[in-house]
Amino acid sequence: MSAHVKINGLTITYRDDAGEETAAVRDATIELARGETLGIVGESGSGKSTLARSLLAHTRAGARFATGSVHLGDTDVLALEGRDLRRFRGGRAAMVPQNPMSSLTPHMTIGAQLEELVRLQTDLTGRAVHAHALSLMERTGLPDPELLARRYPHEISGGQRQRAVIAAALIGKPELIVLDEPTTALDKTVEARVLQLVADVQKDLGATLVYVSHDLNVIRALCSRIVVMKDGVIIEQGDAERIFNAPGNAYTRSLIHAIPRIDVEGPLPPAAASPIQLEVRNLGFSYHRPSGFPFRKAPATRPTLDDISLSLRKGETLGLVGESGSGKSTVASLIAGAVSGHEGRIILDGEVVSGAARKRSRDMRRRIQMVFQDPLSALNPAHTVEEILVRPLRLHFGLSPAAAREKAATALQEMELGPEFLSRRPRQLSGGQQQRVGFARALAAEPDLLICDEVTSALDVTIQANMLSLFLKVQRERAMTCIFISHDLAVIARVSHRIAVLEKGQLREIGNRDSVLHTPSNAYTRRLLAAAGTHLRGGEDETASLRIPQSLSA
Amino acid sequence: MTVESFAPMPLAAPAAPIARNRPLRRVLASPLTMIGLVLVAFHLSLALFAPLIAPYSISAILTDGLTPPSAQHWLGTDQIGRDYLSRLMSGGRVALLVALAGVSGSVLIGTFLGLLAGYVGGWLDDAIMRLTDALMAIPELLLIAILVLTFGKEIGSLSLIVAIVYTPGVVRVVRAKTIMIASLDFVRAAELRGERLGFVLMREIAPNLLGLLAVEFAIRVSSAILKISALSFLGLGISQPTPDWGLMVQEAMSVVFTDPWFLILPAITLSSLIIGINFAVDGLARAYGVTGTETDL
Repeated sequence: MSAHVKINGLTITYRDDAGEETAAVRDATIELARGETLGIVGESGSGKSTLARSLLAHTRAGARFATGSVHLGDTDVLALEGRDLRRFRGGRAAMVPQNPMSSLTPHMTIGAQLEELVRLQTDLTGRAVHAHALSLMERTGLPDPELLARRYPHEISGGQRQRAVIAAALIGKPELIVLDEPTTALDKTVEARVLQLVADVQKDLGATLVYVSHDLNVIRALCSRIVVMKDGVIIEQGDAERIFNAPGNAYTRSLIHAIPRIDVEGPLPPAAASPIQLEVRNLGFSYHRPSGFPFRKAPATRPTLDDISLSLRKGETLGLVGESGSGKSTVASLIAGAVSGHEGRIILDGEVVSGAARKRSRDMRRRIQMVFQDPLSALNPAHTVEEILVRPLRLHFGLSPAAAREKAATALQEMELGPEFLSRRPRQLSGGQQQRVGFARALAAEPDLLICDEVTSALDVTIQANMLSLFLKVQRERAMTCIFISHDLAVIARVSHRIAVLEKGQLREIGNRDSVLHTPSNAYTRRLLAAAGTHLRGGEDETASLRIPQSLSA
Repeated sequence: MTVESFAPMPLAAPAAPIARNRPLRRVLASPLTMIGLVLVAFHLSLALFAPLIAPYSISAILTDGLTPPSAQHWLGTDQIGRDYLSRLMSGGRVALLVALAGVSGSVLIGTFLGLLAGYVGGWLDDAIMRLTDALMAIPELLLIAILVLTFGKEIGSLSLIVAIVYTPGVVRVVRAKTIMIASLDFVRAAELRGERLGFVLMREIAPNLLGLLAVEFAIRVSSAILKISALSFLGLGISQPTPDWGLMVQEAMSVVFTDPWFLILPAITLSSLIIGINFAVDGLARAYGVTGTETDL
């Protein structure tokens, strides 16, 4: 039997800045039978998206198909041109890109965009077009299609936008669906529901599915076959279970080993009976919207944070988990002093910490340090690593330039970076190295409280795993008190002694790591845990082909 | 393309250091940019050395009046009998000087105000932006005419006028970029360790504006030269006996049908300077990745 999708010896090259031709994908060969689900996995820059897009004969500007062929059934995809190619894309093969906001045009309603595609891809006319669009929206689980069809893309949620894009992909009843990280921008609970939809749709159409993701958990939930890519080369491919259970390649093993899992061991407990270091009492905060008039403030909107109380012992890490908009970053900003004007009290070692950083004492500014989410944004691109590290040291400790430089080198060493990094600029470093410099800057101040705001979410999984181990080591050695903020329960489970769950600005649950993870008392916590893919106790979903709890597909 | 370049890299391999000379190589590879740079270099050296290399003095009256090109006077003499080539060579000096001085002033003031408006925000932002709006709302030539009548036509006054007219544009561009940079976390980090306003503006934000400012400066110099020439043409700018291309075009208007080269030559020299600057800036901006400038002047 011939394969449904066949990529044969495909090499895709592009011209780099220096005008030299470089391969983004090299000599890729893949065969898929009809109805199979393939996951393409790899870290950023591995060429996984480039390979997936070739299935629709698409390359980004400047790239070209150097050698090889792509076949869908008997069609030579790369030979298609003009009208044939347009009919092929969206007809026999459809694509769901990563960012639904940029694939929907902002000036048309969702309904109008779907109808336009229906007219293009089917023979329907008149009222039937509208009806078909609505039925597709219903099919993809969009609530109240009549109402939603009249909305513009910015008026619906991220999950709904991605559903609308999937609806658009279904119009031509494609036999091949390519999804390029469609859930990366979504919250975990939303992601789980979208994945369920993708699985249902694939089963309905009997289509062949190619799913690109950096997230092995997602791939494992959805795909029967896996291709692992690194630096443009397929380094391993085969049956999903086989690869997960017995990876044949060292890199694949390190990828699988680095998958964040909830059922990891937590950190070693802090010294018993250590004193309480940080206390937050009845913390509340509301943002003021600009009123549109100069010199006037608009009335406050719904509070971003509402009555948050928590306390931390010395040497303890509190994991603060929640989805986007839960207010977890606002907690960090308030404690660090990046934002002022909160209600309630923040007390560090019995001393009330108040207002914006510039209103605090010099020593207080040193004692609370923060590490930011995006390491590239946190380091000034115009400065060298030395300048970035030395300035805070001179400010905090009043050190001489030479002493500060020495201390900066020591701080880098603690982060396992050599002194040669002092003369580099942020853009000359990899993402992991940048984040280490961010940590070095915060740790060099010898803080009493370290706030880590989503510090690993911009990093690839293997680098993320290294970063977390390093964090655990340093936290333990220094017996440092930390607030570790993340949307990712697996990361939280790895680093936290205690866990606090935030939703819509309210504290849903706070308790010891094990009790929150194993016996959550709150319904929202349970939903988060379920969406994280694997239950701690494992078991019930293990046999199902799709490990997404049914409770989420509603 | 070699096979070695695709060998799997070790885990957590360091990012390849960015080659520092890559933008420069891109500049040298672009013929338009090279033409621009050569033209700019030519005009700058002409402006610097014209009095030394010109065959005659710009004010010496050598003939009875208009004469065609000859062995002594390669481009002839003008209506008053002065050597036309010598005057043409010096014709860009004052305009270039006024443009450089004025635009330097506007970039300095505009950067200062733009940084303050973009970073501090609030009422200060409102005040600065409404002020620039007010200035930009007055038709430019009318504004210039008023300023010329107020301050006069000396080189210093003209420079001041250029500075006033060009400041609002710089403020807007710098403010926009400052707002973008101020949202980045390294600015947050500086605030959290208690840096003063001056440090945040000058040491954290300003260094990231340099590329933008360089492009702004060059583009506005080219625009200012054109504007000064237009003013001279209208009699509001540089006046006799200083040689100036705009003024020379205006003087040639009366003889345009009999001796057209008197009009065409200064027009060509002026255009070549403007085109040179624009090509050079375009290429440099693209090579160094500076975007978001107001190139539509």
